[in-house]
Amino acid sequence: MESMEKKIREIAREIFINQKIDFFLGYEEGSVPLKSRPFFIQAKEKTPDGLINRLVWNSFCSNNLAVFLPKFFEHDPRKKPPRIGISVKGCDLRSIVALIKEKQVPRENIVLIGVPCLGMIDKTKVEANFQGLEIIGSEETPEGVLNITTKDGKKHHLKREEFLQEACIECRFPMTEGTDYLIEGKARDPGDGGYARIKAFEDKPPEERWEYFKREISKCIRCNACRQACPTCWCKECFAEQTDLRWIGASIDLSDTMIFHLIRIFHQAGRCVECDACYRACPMGVDLRMFTKKIVQDVDELFSYVPGFSTEDTPPMSTFREEDSDNFISEP
Amino acid sequence: MAQGVIKKEDLYRLLSTAAGKKKVYAPIDGVGGIEFAEIHEQKEITLDYSNSKLSPKSIFFPQREVLCTFADDALEEVQTPKEALIVFGIRPCDALSLTYLDKVFSDSAGRFKDPYYLKRRENAVIISLACKEPRATCFCTSVGGSPSGKEGADILVYELADKLLFESCSDRGQDFMKTASVLFKQAEEDHKTAAKEQAEKAKDGMPVLNLNGLKERVDKVFEDPLWDEITRNCLGCGACTYLCPTCHCFDITDEENRKGEGYRIRTWDSCQYPLFTLHASGHNPRVNKKQRMRQRIMHKYSYTVDNYGDIFCVGCGRCILYCPVNLDIRDMLNTLNKL
Amino acid sequence: MENPYIPYPVSIDAITIENDAKDLKTFKLTFDREEDLKAFTYMPGQFAEMSVFGKGESPFGIASSPTEEGYLLFTVKRTGTVTKELHNSEPGRKIGVRGPLGNTFPWDRMVGKNIVIVSGGFAFTTLRSAITYMLCKEQRSKFGSITTVYGARDPGELMYKDILKSWEANTNIDLTLTVDRAPDNGWHGRVGLVPNVLKEVNPSSENSIALVCGPPIMIRFTIPVLLELGFNKDDIIISLENRMKCGIGKCGRCNVGSKYVCIDGPVFTYAELEHLPAEY
Repeated sequence: MESMEKKIREIAREIFINQKIDFFLGYEEGSVPLKSRPFFIQAKEKTPDGLINRLVWNSFCSNNLAVFLPKFFEHDPRKKPPRIGISVKGCDLRSIVALIKEKQVPRENIVLIGVPCLGMIDKTKVEANFQGLEIIGSEETPEGVLNITTKDGKKHHLKREEFLQEACIECRFPMTEGTDYLIEGKARDPGDGGYARIKAFEDKPPEERWEYFKREISKCIRCNACRQACPTCWCKECFAEQTDLRWIGASIDLSDTMIFHLIRIFHQAGRCVECDACYRACPMGVDLRMFTKKIVQDVDELFSYVPGFSTEDTPPMSTFREEDSDNFISEP
Repeated sequence: MAQGVIKKEDLYRLLSTAAGKKKVYAPIDGVGGIEFAEIHEQKEITLDYSNSKLSPKSIFFPQREVLCTFADDALEEVQTPKEALIVFGIRPCDALSLTYLDKVFSDSAGRFKDPYYLKRRENAVIISLACKEPRATCFCTSVGGSPSGKEGADILVYELADKLLFESCSDRGQDFMKTASVLFKQAEEDHKTAAKEQAEKAKDGMPVLNLNGLKERVDKVFEDPLWDEITRNCLGCGACTYLCPTCHCFDITDEENRKGEGYRIRTWDSCQYPLFTLHASGHNPRVNKKQRMRQRIMHKYSYTVDNYGDIFCVGCGRCILYCPVNLDIRDMLNTLNKL
Repeated sequence: MENPYIPYPVSIDAITIENDAKDLKTFKLTFDREEDLKAFTYMPGQFAEMSVFGKGESPFGIASSPTEEGYLLFTVKRTGTVTKELHNSEPGRKIGVRGPLGNTFPWDRMVGKNIVIVSGGFAFTTLRSAITYMLCKEQRSKFGSITTVYGARDPGELMYKDILKSWEANTNIDLTLTVDRAPDNGWHGRVGLVPNVLKEVNPSSENSIALVCGPPIMIRFTIPVLLELGFNKDDIIISLENRMKCGIGKCGRCNVGSKYVCIDGPVFTYAELEHLPAEY
C-alpha cells in the first residue's frame, strides 16, 4: 500500500500543478490508533507539497469521502463550483456515481483517482480482540500484519485479513472502473455480497428477528451520525425533522427511533452501495448492516438492479415496469 | 473528611445499605457499551472501564423528559422527578461537569430554576471513582480537572487491588459514610499511600494541552478564515454534543394522540443541526457547518467563561473517541491558539 | 419550586385580521385566573411564549401595553405549526402563555428624552406596545417628542390600522407611514424604504433615543442613517429575534455570542451588538 500512497501523492501533485483542481480530498493519519481521517487540500498559489506529503493510503481509510461532495455543489450564484480531485475505493466511487446520477455532483468537476481496494480494518473488531484494554498505537506492514501496541506496553501482531470489515469481506466490487486515474495494483478478490447472511436471518422466527431489531435500535441516541455519514443521505430537509406534518417525534422513544431508521434505510433503496458508512459512524454501535443489506438484496432480486454503476439508467424506485414484482400486494 | 475501606465485593451491600429509599446507579456493561443504570445486585456492577460511552448527564438531564401532560386544550399534570439517587462510579471529569450543568440549570441570578434537573440533583449522592489509567484521549488536567479531582463529588473512591478506599468530600458524602459506617474498615496508612501514589501517577501520565489564553484568542479570531479549514471534515452529526458531559442544549416539543391527549417533552438537541437556529422566516443565523462548529467551540471555551466563569469542557475525550471523522477538538484548539 | 416551563391558562377573547394577505392576526387573550393576571407584570419590549397544547410553543413580542389593563395582545404571523394552529382557532379557545420574558426597552433612560421609533413590517408589535404606553395620560409628560417611521411592503400590510389612524390625528406623536411599493390609488403616505424615509424625516438626535425593530436587512440599513443623524451607539436601541425554545436561558439556541436573546435581550443597544458576532 505504500506504493499506492506514493502514487496518490504523485497524481495529486500533478493535477495541482496542471491546475485541474481547486481541492484534493484524500486521507491523512488520524489522531487515534486504527484511524485515518478525511483530509482536504486547498490549492493556494504554490503547489501545496507539505500538505500533499501528509496524504496516506492504508488499511484505515474507511471513511466514504463521497459524503463531502454535495455540499460543494449546492447552488450559489456567487460562487463558481470547485473542481475536486478525490481518491476513491470501489464503494466510494459507487456513491459518487449515485450522486452524479442524482444531480448532486457534476461529473466534469470531479477528478477521480481509483484505488484498488484491499479491504479496510474494522476498528471495533480489533478493539474487541483486546477486551477493553486500550490500544495506543497501530501500524501495518506490507506483508499484511497489524502491529498493535496496548496500554500495558505490549506489542501484538495481528493478521490484517482477520480483522477486515464485513462490508469489505462481502464486497463484490473492490475494483474501481471508469475513473480518470487508476492506481496500479490488485484489489482483493470480490466477495459474495453477503446475501446468505440475510437469508439466514430471515429464516429465524419473527420474535427473534424482532428482538434483534429492538435491541439494536434501542442503543440509538438520535445523533444522526448514520445519516450524516451516508453519501446518499443528502436531502436538504430530512423527513425526521419536518415539523409541519410531523412524521416522527424528536425523542428516543423506541417507536420513533425505529421509524427513523426504517424510513431512512427504505429511502436508500436502489441507492445504498453497502459501504457501511452508517454503521461505522454510529457512536453507540447500532448495527444497521442487516437492514441496509436487506434493502440492497431486495432491490437486486426484485428489480435486477445494483446501484452505483451507471449514471444513465433509471433508478428502480423512480419508474414502473410491467414486469415489476407485485407480490407485495398478493403476498404481503 | 471521613475515610473508609471496603472490599470490592461488598460494594453493592454498602450502596444499598446507605441507600434507604434512594435508587442506586452504577456502571454496567450494557448493550451499547459501559453505561450508568439502576442496579439491584453486585454482579451487575463493572469496575473494568476507563469511562462510560454516554456521559452520566443523562441521569439528571435525560434525553427525553416529560415536562407536563395535557388533554385537549388544558394542562393536566406537571411532572417533576421524585426519585432520589446514589450514583456510583462516575469519573472525576464527569463529576466536575455536573457542577457546570448546575450553574446552567440553577441560574445564579436566581430568575429561572429548572425544577426537573434540580430535583434530581438535590437528592443525589455522587460517588466518583478516581482514574487509575486515563485514556490517551483524556486531557482533564489541561482544563482544570484531575484524574482524582473532587469537585462535583460527595465521595471520591480509589480502586486499590481488591479494595475500595472511600473519602468523603462533602457533608452529604460524610453523612452517607456515617449511615453505613459499620460496613467500613478503617483506612490504613498504606491504603492512603497507595491511593496518593496512584493519583500522582495518573496525573503525571496525562498529556498536556496548552490552552493558556485560549479564550482571548478565540474571541479575537472569530472571523478568521481558518475556521473553514479546521471544520471541513465535520459531517454535521450531533455525536460530539450528545456524548459531551457539559452540552446541555435541548428542544421542547409536543406530542399528542388523535384524541388530543399528549405531553410536552424536552429532548436533547444539538447546535450542530441547521434546524437548531432556523427562524420561521427561513433566515438562519448559522447556515453552515463552520458557523455551527465555531458555535460549539466558542460556547465551551469563551461564552461560558463570560457567563459562568468556567470553560465548559472537562477533557473527557468522548468527542475525540467517537467522532466518525476523527475531528479532534485538541487539534482544533491547538490550531486556534497558535493563530 | 416555581416551574418556569408551565404556562398560564388563558383564553382567546378576540381575533383581528391585520393585513390584506390575512397571514397576520392579533389575538386578545384574557387570563383564566385572576392571580395570573396580577402575576403577569410586564413593560413594553418584553415577549412571551404562546402555547397551543399538542402543537408547541412559540415566542412573540407583547403587542399590548401594560396600560391596557386586563388583557394581552399578540400579533402572530402564520408561518409554522403553532402559528397555523393559532390562525385556525376561534375565540373562546384555551391556550397558554408563559412569561413575561426578556428585558424591556430602557425605560429609565428614556424618561426625559425625545423618542425616535423606526420599524418595518411585522416587527412593529412591541413598538405598538411602547407607543401606546408613552401616549397614555400618566406617561406622556415624561417623554419629549415621539417621532415614528413605520413601513410595510404595501398599505395592506400595515398593521393596527385603526390605531394608526388615531395616532395620525394625535398631536402627541409625529407618525410617518411608508410603503415599499406605490399603490395605484388611495395612498397618502410616503413611498420608499424605511431607512430612506427616516433620512427624509430627519429627526434630531439631540437628547434622543431611537428604538429600532424590523427585519435584519432593515436594521442593517437603518443604523448608518441613525449614526449619520448623530445618534450615539448607546442611544440606538434594537430588538432582536432568534429561534427560541425555553425562553429562560437554558436551551442554548438563541445566543448571539455570549448573550442570550431570551434573557439578556431581546433589547440591546447598538453599542452592545457591535461587539457581538452577527449571528442573528
